[in-house]
Amino acid sequence: MFNPDDTIVAIATPAGRGGIGVVRVSGPGALGIAASISGRPAALEPRRATLSRIIANATAFDRAVLTFFPAPHSYTGEDVLEISAHGSPVLLHGIVQASVQAGARLAEPGEFTFRAYLRGRIDLVQAEAVHDLVDAVTPLQARAAFDQLEGTLTARIAAIDTALFEMSARLEASLDFADEGYHFIDPGRAAIEIDEIGRSMDALLAEAARGRLVRDGAQVVILGRPNAGKSSIFNRLAGAGRAIVTDIPGTTRDLLTEVLDLDGIAVTLVDTAGLRAAPVDAVETEGIARAHAARQVADLVIVALDGSRPLSADDEALLSSTTVGRRVVVRNKSDLPAAWDPRALGGPVVSVSAGTGAGFDPLRAAMVMALAGGERLRDIPAITNMRHVELLTRARAALGRASAAAAGGTPEEFVAADVSEARACLEEVTGARTPDDVLHAIFDRFCIGK
Amino acid sequence: MQSGFDVIVIGAGHAGVEAAWAAARLGRTVGICTLSDGTVAHMPCNPAVGGTAKGHLVREIDALGGLMAKAIDATGIQFKMLNTSRGPAVWSPRAQADKRGYSAWVKEALEAEPGIHWIFGRAGRILADSSGITGLELEDGQRFRCRALVVTTGTFLNGLIHVGREQRPAGRIGEPPSHDLAESLKAFGFEWGRLKTGTPPRLHRASIDFSAFVPQHGDDPPAPFSFLTDAIDRPQIACHLLHTTERVHDLVRRNIDQSPLFNGQIRGIGPRYCPSLEDKIMRFPHRDRHQIFLEPEGLDVDEVYVNGFSMSLPADVQADLVHALPGLESAEVLRPGYAVEYDFIQPTELRASLETRRVRGLFLAGQINGTSGYEEAAAQGLIAGVNAARFDADVPFVLGRGEAYIGILVDDLTTKGCLEPYRMFTSRAEHRLLLRVDNADLRLTTRARACGLVDDLRWERFARRLDRFQHNCVVVNRSAVTVSGGERIPAARALKHPDVRLEALQASGQLSLVTDSHDALIDIASVETEFKYEGYLKRQTLAVERQRKQETRAIPAGFVFTGIPGLSREMVERLSHIRPATLGHASRIPGVTPAAVALIASCIQHARTSTAV
Repeated sequence: MFNPDDTIVAIATPAGRGGIGVVRVSGPGALGIAASISGRPAALEPRRATLSRIIANATAFDRAVLTFFPAPHSYTGEDVLEISAHGSPVLLHGIVQASVQAGARLAEPGEFTFRAYLRGRIDLVQAEAVHDLVDAVTPLQARAAFDQLEGTLTARIAAIDTALFEMSARLEASLDFADEGYHFIDPGRAAIEIDEIGRSMDALLAEAARGRLVRDGAQVVILGRPNAGKSSIFNRLAGAGRAIVTDIPGTTRDLLTEVLDLDGIAVTLVDTAGLRAAPVDAVETEGIARAHAARQVADLVIVALDGSRPLSADDEALLSSTTVGRRVVVRNKSDLPAAWDPRALGGPVVSVSAGTGAGFDPLRAAMVMALAGGERLRDIPAITNMRHVELLTRARAALGRASAAAAGGTPEEFVAADVSEARACLEEVTGARTPDDVLHAIFDRFCIGK
Repeated sequence: MQSGFDVIVIGAGHAGVEAAWAAARLGRTVGICTLSDGTVAHMPCNPAVGGTAKGHLVREIDALGGLMAKAIDATGIQFKMLNTSRGPAVWSPRAQADKRGYSAWVKEALEAEPGIHWIFGRAGRILADSSGITGLELEDGQRFRCRALVVTTGTFLNGLIHVGREQRPAGRIGEPPSHDLAESLKAFGFEWGRLKTGTPPRLHRASIDFSAFVPQHGDDPPAPFSFLTDAIDRPQIACHLLHTTERVHDLVRRNIDQSPLFNGQIRGIGPRYCPSLEDKIMRFPHRDRHQIFLEPEGLDVDEVYVNGFSMSLPADVQADLVHALPGLESAEVLRPGYAVEYDFIQPTELRASLETRRVRGLFLAGQINGTSGYEEAAAQGLIAGVNAARFDADVPFVLGRGEAYIGILVDDLTTKGCLEPYRMFTSRAEHRLLLRVDNADLRLTTRARACGLVDDLRWERFARRLDRFQHNCVVVNRSAVTVSGGERIPAARALKHPDVRLEALQASGQLSLVTDSHDALIDIASVETEFKYEGYLKRQTLAVERQRKQETRAIPAGFVFTGIPGLSREMVERLSHIRPATLGHASRIPGVTPAAVALIASCIQHARTSTAV
């Protein structure tokens, strides 16, 4: 985990919102990651700020300033890439994720400083965190020392790890001690037990997502065809006349944002240009492109429909393209005669009137429900460390394979391999357990050997 | 008599014979020092070779050109492939040996090798000067020069046998064990420990009522261990299964104070995977019965080994226990079981070549390193023998953890040391799916050939096998097959389905693979695994690559760990003692954190750049 050959990435500016946020990448892959997330194959000129698009999943979602500091003249003494972007935590996480996809791994707490120390950029007194880091068996323990919240999480991750370890021990026993007259694990039961562990991981991951909402807030994007009333909804929710509202379709050309508190969640609300298949000019075309980009990083999409006019092809296209991911469908202009029946959409629809303000409390409730899953957000000890979320996600994927293998009748050694892989991910949080530990567990519980 | 050899091996047990054989294969003259040639490759405990993970070791020894697999194929009297209900990664061969036949076969093989000579006598003093080993002096004063010395004395160093309250030194019956050799070794300052192991009583075959038991037959046809054996042609026997009874448990509980294991008489640590009867009954009181296997020690010998019944209770109690078992009421006990305590040298004293760090040219292999088992001993013997023969080579012959169970064995020993007798398990392998019995040759024979271990006969046979494997992989890659439902899909994709088996595709004529009639099972298994579990193998191969990268980052021989800021004193002590050769090695030392490894890496880098300036 502390492999100094890796390229690491993390958000360098404090959590929360600011005008500008900085993501820092350090390691031999920094330049390659710059090329990959900017889509510019040409190498960046050293120490020169370069404006570029940021691309993830083949879609540009933001603009940022990229600066490359070649080794050894950088903060860590390695190749360093600094990405200065808009301060929205959602966008910054998007950049971090794009970097991870391009080959970086999430940095451990204090790892940039640790590297600066390794490369002789700072002395030990400056890097007083280093000593503790080296002594700590796991990075989580290092964190837990000053973070009580994470401490309760250690216990929960440790409980999952213990369940996995037990499973491992029995699988290993059945492979190594086949002729001992024991029935260590029933192949049919294995899949069920693995799924149980998987569900507790899912629960933790779901809380992680909610914890991130509390810390970083959520990005909510309003989409709809021109003149569906997006800007009116935006103004109602924001409680201010931020957006210019006219009867002319396509009034909103650029993204407008406003931050509001929605039941404890810091929501960045984004108003967008109306979506239509045939924009009238280049400005509108660009506005629509930005609307799509905003959607890429949205935690929630509000689909605004005009209740007073029949659904158009643009509406249908928007509805069918937002079925994946979280959305709230809004039927605006409820004060006018209805042109269509909301039940026809086959899902929940919130009726509002941006003109009169009717229906906005139910809309806010629906947004909170969609974002937080109906649970109160305050005081949840959730994983806020992205690194741990990533490890848990990887562990969950390996466990999914284990479950499928066990259910599909794949021999136990393969199930055992998947379970070990899941354990190896958690090991970075809970500390390593060796094959000897597995054998101890087996010998303590079973009378084995002749 | 010759007054010198390139390599001298002390001991002719399973480690000693492989060491001698390997060194001779590399063209060295070898002297084997033993009291007599009557106990070459002797099996003092259970008359069997292989089992889970141990069977893997034997296949690897064979792929490297060693003796053990061929010996058991020639003298085995019951063969079983374990774990066949699972995938090929955990298949493991096991066989009952005709122990006298086994010993005679190995002795003959050694005598047929012109480079190997006997030194009959009791080893006394190890001769060394500041540059390393110079020779061996026997107790009778004879001296032999050598460049490298391999010590494989098993449990004979300060061995003490316990039967009830009776104690006697371990060694050949009627002869005291060598104290001179033990003193000579101790003088070098190695770290020592004490272990314990045990063995069950032997019964007279004619006195047993076999009709009372469930017979256990071997596989028919038996599958050989060696890649060179075409077929097993010896007559095969049955073993017999019975279970302990409440009467047995009761007898043990009543006499437990007479067991040296429970009355404080024995201090050495025993293997938990091979518990004595006393341990089984006292530590697992809820189990109402335990398995016992009756294993004949040969085709026409009287001794029957009572597997699962090892103990150190007094001889009369042992007889009562035997007679308490249904079917053994009138069994004659030929020899009582016993526990043996012995000294071993902590294998953290060794390099990955199995050479001691304190004395150049001195190698240790087998039980002296804290291991148990013939297979573990033989595997170390082979590695020590090769490296002893290469005393003038710059780079030792070392197998990686991702390459062989033998690599795991040596790495575990030299990195972690032993707290109890070390036995191999498949769960010790991080990348078990890559280390299979079917591909031991594909993994190892090329490397073994390069260092001189593999003769032309084996090499030609391997070349044909490799051709078949590669050809068959191409056939699968290029073919489409019809699956249930009539759909035609690529064979490689079809094989991913659990119900589609390569053997069936071959049998139904959908694929035409080339297989050798003797090795068809292995040929098919190697190819099928490659396709069926492709995703798993790829992930594990990737992990091995990552690990290998760390293994190529050497820590300089004289590197000083003291004074590196950030390393705790405990870590400095461990690192200074183990002296890891690579960063990968350092990372596996218990208690050394990943951050500490990163620190060491940076200090090495720093030292290199500052000296370069």
